[in-house]
Amino acid sequence: MSQDHGHHIVPVKMLLAVIGILVFLTILTVALAQVELGIFEVPVALSIALTKAGFVVMIFMALKWDNKVNATILAVGVLCVLIFISFILIDTEFRGDLSNTTEATIMDEQRMEQTLDGREPDRSDISFNRQ
Amino acid sequence: MSHSAPGLNYLNHAKGFKSWALTLDHKRIGIMYMVAVSLAFLAGGILAILVRLELLGPGETIMGPDTYNQSFTLHAVLMVFAFIIPAVPAVMGNFVLPIQLGAKDVAFPRLNLASLYIYLIGAVIVMFALVNGRIDGGWTFYAPYSTSIGNGILFVTAGVFVMGFSSILTGLNFIVTVHKMRAPGLTWNRLPLFIWSIYATSIVQVLATPVIGITVLLLFLEKAFSIGIFDPALGGDPVLFQHFFWFYSHPAVYIMILPAFGVISDLMGTFSRHQVSGYKFVALSSVAIAFLGFLVWGHHMFVSGQSAVSSVVLSLITYLIGIPTGVKVINWVQTMYRGSVQLKSPMLYAIMFLFTFSIGGFTGIMLGVLAIDVHLHDTYFVVAHFHYVMMGGNVIAALGGLHYWWPKMFGKMYNETLAKIAAFLVFFGFNLTFFPQFIMGAQGMPRRYYDYLPQYEFYHELSTYGSWVLAAGLFLIMFYMIASLINGKKAGLNPWGALTLEWTHTTTPPDHHNFHDTPVVTRGAYDFHLAKHLFEYGGEVTELDLGGDGTAAAPEEAPVPNEPVA
Amino acid sequence: MANPHTNQPAHVKHYFVSSEQQFDAAKMGMWLFLVTEILLFSGMFVAYTIYRSWHPETWMALSTALDWKLGGLNTLVLLASSFTVAMGINQIQRGNQKGLLLNLVLTFVFAGIFLVVKYFEYSAKIEHGLLPGASFDPHGVSHGFDYATYNVPYGPQFFSIYFVMTGIHGFHVLVGMGLFAWITWKAKNGAFSADYYTPVENCGLYWHLVDIIWIFLFPLLYLI
Repeated sequence: MSQDHGHHIVPVKMLLAVIGILVFLTILTVALAQVELGIFEVPVALSIALTKAGFVVMIFMALKWDNKVNATILAVGVLCVLIFISFILIDTEFRGDLSNTTEATIMDEQRMEQTLDGREPDRSDISFNRQ
Repeated sequence: MSHSAPGLNYLNHAKGFKSWALTLDHKRIGIMYMVAVSLAFLAGGILAILVRLELLGPGETIMGPDTYNQSFTLHAVLMVFAFIIPAVPAVMGNFVLPIQLGAKDVAFPRLNLASLYIYLIGAVIVMFALVNGRIDGGWTFYAPYSTSIGNGILFVTAGVFVMGFSSILTGLNFIVTVHKMRAPGLTWNRLPLFIWSIYATSIVQVLATPVIGITVLLLFLEKAFSIGIFDPALGGDPVLFQHFFWFYSHPAVYIMILPAFGVISDLMGTFSRHQVSGYKFVALSSVAIAFLGFLVWGHHMFVSGQSAVSSVVLSLITYLIGIPTGVKVINWVQTMYRGSVQLKSPMLYAIMFLFTFSIGGFTGIMLGVLAIDVHLHDTYFVVAHFHYVMMGGNVIAALGGLHYWWPKMFGKMYNETLAKIAAFLVFFGFNLTFFPQFIMGAQGMPRRYYDYLPQYEFYHELSTYGSWVLAAGLFLIMFYMIASLINGKKAGLNPWGALTLEWTHTTTPPDHHNFHDTPVVTRGAYDFHLAKHLFEYGGEVTELDLGGDGTAAAPEEAPVPNEPVA
Repeated sequence: MANPHTNQPAHVKHYFVSSEQQFDAAKMGMWLFLVTEILLFSGMFVAYTIYRSWHPETWMALSTALDWKLGGLNTLVLLASSFTVAMGINQIQRGNQKGLLLNLVLTFVFAGIFLVVKYFEYSAKIEHGLLPGASFDPHGVSHGFDYATYNVPYGPQFFSIYFVMTGIHGFHVLVGMGLFAWITWKAKNGAFSADYYTPVENCGLYWHLVDIIWIFLFPLLYLI
């Protein structure tokens, strides 16, 4: 009776095509890792991984033909992961951006500022206790 | 299904230990959760009384500093993980949610029972560790201190990990139940607001709890194998631990408060005898709070050394939480204004909630203000704030819900006069305990300190006296609730004249299978303008005037409401 | 096989209206569970991202300490097992119980191969002191390569993250083997048909997720 209600059967040919693509992409990502890509190394590897994951989710897990609720659940989960990573990155990428975390007192800082004003702008002798 | 004989209900249709321990009935699981959670509340409460007693005067009063540190830690861990998080969802959610949906059970009854046992196992592990392990860092387990205080932390993290599973399973179960098990005609716009809030809670439980799982797992490994993710001595980053911890624990605050909103919405509708104003806004604000709750965890970390950019952004987003919360409070007040309020004991708690929760909520926004938080961080102001939200929000609402659904759960009425006295004691005692803490916090009294300067003594004294009044109120509730089981008056089918399915379509107490026939829903959950019509044809109560203790209105031999309301 | 009270097939529980409702509920529950798994792993991916952004040179240096040949082999093994799971579901949807059984056994075998390869990888790391956190102590010479050169700052963090990530993943593979042993047993006894194959479907979803996690772990740890 389940079949009558339209459980989608993914054709064997499509499954074979997808496993072919996945194997190809695995070989591709290994091959590209041997080449020097500079700053593109991480984005390229990640986009290949995302493509592979997309094929697995859509075809192997049959989300393409599944109830929309399940797709929404997955989307919300992924959104949460993105929030998790990006909000922590807001902290870690700007860590130590407070200018008043120096051990010097306000008086010290004023004195240092006056020293700066009265000299050529060589800041190397002023050490703000930054991280 | 076989129809039960008259007089048989979920409590007495099967007897014996096994019929409870192995039951798949969501109502029995809810009752067992209630017993377990109440024990955790009792234990945590006794510790709170002891901690307050120690603080009655400066210096040593009844316990030494080490005992004190362990006591408040044990109090916090018990209250947060073993009491508040499962309190409303697992007790009232389990009992009421499937019935309000018109379902025979939750979607996964075996998973439901498993979640109870997982909770119990986790609670036992945590208790064992806290009693034997000398854990004294507070419930937040900040690394690296928590990994330097003995091996008890291994058990605590394991226990919290296990209890997290229980929470996830409950949430998962409820989401699927709400999506797939609603009775015919019960559209999303007709759902009781209690369901909406439990639904929002469940989303948070499912999305946030796994992160505390990985956090305590990493803490466990940090302690066991020194993996150096969090410990700065090994090159790790302790602030990262706080991020991980609060990514769960801030949304967890909404796991605690959202179900309370649901209970209050139901109480407001029923006892104001009026459609809850702004139904859609109240419903969707729960989901909005659940979502926003994931974006603000950094406001716990303003003085942790996180970046200023992060602090500013998260402080701004924190203000946004005030919007959906305000929408709720305003709509509740509006409901009372438009309706005709009946001051039954559950409603007393709902009104109490408006005061205490609003104070807790507003001080929360104050603490979200970056500049103010730097001053108030880790003072008694914070302690007072979260007790106003947790206790003044969740516990007060849970008490309201308990008084509201108690007749349905056990078929007995409690003593209404005692209930009103207890409600007054709780309100008075609660405010006397925690309001002075705002004042001394603002004056600089740091939280978690064992000793204090003489200038704070007056406020500490007030606070300790308040805790006795509060305890008296809570023990009085325990007394008359248990007494009602023994010699309480028989409760009618619908003593409050409520319109949700658990009151209109089930016997009291409910049948083992909830409904004899699946109800067909043709109206909203709070369509009180139809009430006269409904009750005349539904046959539950003969009239809407619910004077006296509310039971008189229901005839002794009320017909079984097996006809769906047309 | 029908339930006499409800005229439903025997596998339908009494609190469900139809087989379809039960199947949908089970599958939705499984997707929710998968989301909790994703968030569990996300903690490790966050730790990876943060430490990599702070110490990229360590990460680039130490990814060469992991053997991409073994990692790549394991990727192919897991992809193959995902394929056999999908094939198994295809077979049972067409009512072919023998086809299902064959594919389930193959999946189980692939999962076993994955763990064996993992065992050899771990042994090599442990032998040369490439261990997490405080235990980090690279030493020894193998194939003319001196492992002491891996002793770079924040190397302990890299191997902590490597072991925790692959460890949790390996644990999931182990759990998956248990699940497949169970449904293979049930399939052997003819428990599944074109009308009822919910456990196969849900174990399959779980297994695909384990595969997807590895799809990300492999390039992040071994390649870049």
